[in-house]
Amino acid sequence: MISELNPQPLPPRSMERVRIYVDADVSYDLKRMNKVVANVLGKLGCGGCHSGRILEFLDMREFIVNPKTLDVEGRMGAQF
Amino acid sequence: MRPLGVGLVFWPELAPLLDDTDLVGVIEIEPQGFWEKLPCGNGACYRPNDGLLRNIARYPQPKLLHGVGQPVGGITRDPVDAAPSLRSAVGLLRPVWVSEHLSFNRTCRGAAITDAGFLLPPRQCPAGVFAAADNIARYGRVTGCPVAFETGVNYLQPRVDELDDGAWFAHVAEQADCGILLDLHNLWCNQRNGRERVPDVLARIPLERVWEVHLAGGMALDGYWLDAHSDAVPPELMELAAEVVPTLPNLGAIMFEILPQHLPRIGIDGVQRQLEQLAKLWALRAPNQATTTSTVHPHSAHPATAGARAKPDCDLRELAEWENGLAAAIRGDVVASCRFADLALDPGIAVYRQLIGDARRSNLTRALRYTMLLLLAHLGVDETEALLERHFTTTVPDAYAALEAEGFARFLRDQSALLAGAPHLAEVLAFEHALLRATLYAEPAELAWSNDPTKIFAALDAGRLPRGLPVARTTMRIAAH
Repeated sequence: MISELNPQPLPPRSMERVRIYVDADVSYDLKRMNKVVANVLGKLGCGGCHSGRILEFLDMREFIVNPKTLDVEGRMGAQF
Repeated sequence: MRPLGVGLVFWPELAPLLDDTDLVGVIEIEPQGFWEKLPCGNGACYRPNDGLLRNIARYPQPKLLHGVGQPVGGITRDPVDAAPSLRSAVGLLRPVWVSEHLSFNRTCRGAAITDAGFLLPPRQCPAGVFAAADNIARYGRVTGCPVAFETGVNYLQPRVDELDDGAWFAHVAEQADCGILLDLHNLWCNQRNGRERVPDVLARIPLERVWEVHLAGGMALDGYWLDAHSDAVPPELMELAAEVVPTLPNLGAIMFEILPQHLPRIGIDGVQRQLEQLAKLWALRAPNQATTTSTVHPHSAHPATAGARAKPDCDLRELAEWENGLAAAIRGDVVASCRFADLALDPGIAVYRQLIGDARRSNLTRALRYTMLLLLAHLGVDETEALLERHFTTTVPDAYAALEAEGFARFLRDQSALLAGAPHLAEVLAFEHALLRATLYAEPAELAWSNDPTKIFAALDAGRLPRGLPVARTTMRIAAH
């Protein structure tokens, strides 16, 4: 049996076009799944269009757990 | 120009401030940040986000439209027709005026038009003046609005064979008979990085043409000061602005720029304090300021187009050599033009290379968030960066995140050893790639998972590699409507 995820949190254009159907016999965390999809589809516009440094990748890499200490190394101001 | 007040460049994260019309008197929108670029036939087309623009249009403040995708400083036009999307934005927002950057972001080699990956400084010469004026006139015709160009940042060292910055801006403004968006942070960056002093630039430009001032904060990188829109306006720059504002008789707006990625640095309260400081600047305007629209309106007489056509020896080859030469130097290729071969020696080239790489990595971070998290967690920073570099050296950038990410997803799909060795990477990549392809190509997909994907994403959202998850085979179907 297939059920459709609620697409409401998706960004305005993408949610009109992309839908995800999942097996209903797995207890999906639907709220998280919608957030995941919104995270991916919500920022597809023109990114490199100003004249400074964009730090999202640096923020992300500093957020990742240090494999030696298993500490999450959050960076101040990071969005992750 | 009509005085509007102080305001913000729109980002959804700044929405909490926009209901306060005393604080935010004008809203500026960069529409391309909300467009998507989609393959269409043999080319591409833009899909604007009209729903978002309609929401912005409901705010009672007057609007300005600030283009960031079709800059007016180069000779290579956007191969994708942006006119319908621009007109749509104008129709929805009714901007008092529009502006674009006096930069270029594409080069043309043979029949191939290549995205440069960044706004780059144009050749500051007489031919460049006429080309820019022609572009500005065209922009005015497309939008049907008065046009101003933004005084750009330039990380290259000044050259003896170019117009100095002040003369360059002045000539373009006079030739195009247009307005000027005076980005004081850009000029301040230029001064700090070795180019012309701000007072010297201001002494050359026609101040009555300044309709708008941009203020922002930046950051340091390898001895350069970057126009990063990343912080509060530096106090020195605020003092400089206080000296400049009273000299601008047609000033219509003072805008604060900050990117949402950097908002946590000063917080929404910090933005509010910046606006309060801008209001004090606004109060310093000259008492005899003009309050009606100036005569400069690009589609009233099209003097710029006429001027460009009348110029018999407009040397487009010089401009093409500059644009291709600068792009080649940044890529690390040989600069084919003898007269611009020295570009490769400019220390600013390394800055542009870094910034373009940052922009590409950030696009991938946005559109392949979980794949990138998995790569970083599995490979570590150095190996992930090396993998990205291998892809970047063989591909050209695309400013639009979906297309940039789709190219990298295809590259990753061929890395069979990596996919086999990194737990869940193949499944997460397939999922994000399918979302992108559904968006770009309306292509459906069926995916198989060996575990509950929400548990995989939960681990990645926490910055951890997903480990020890119970087997739970499931399928997922992605459909595009």
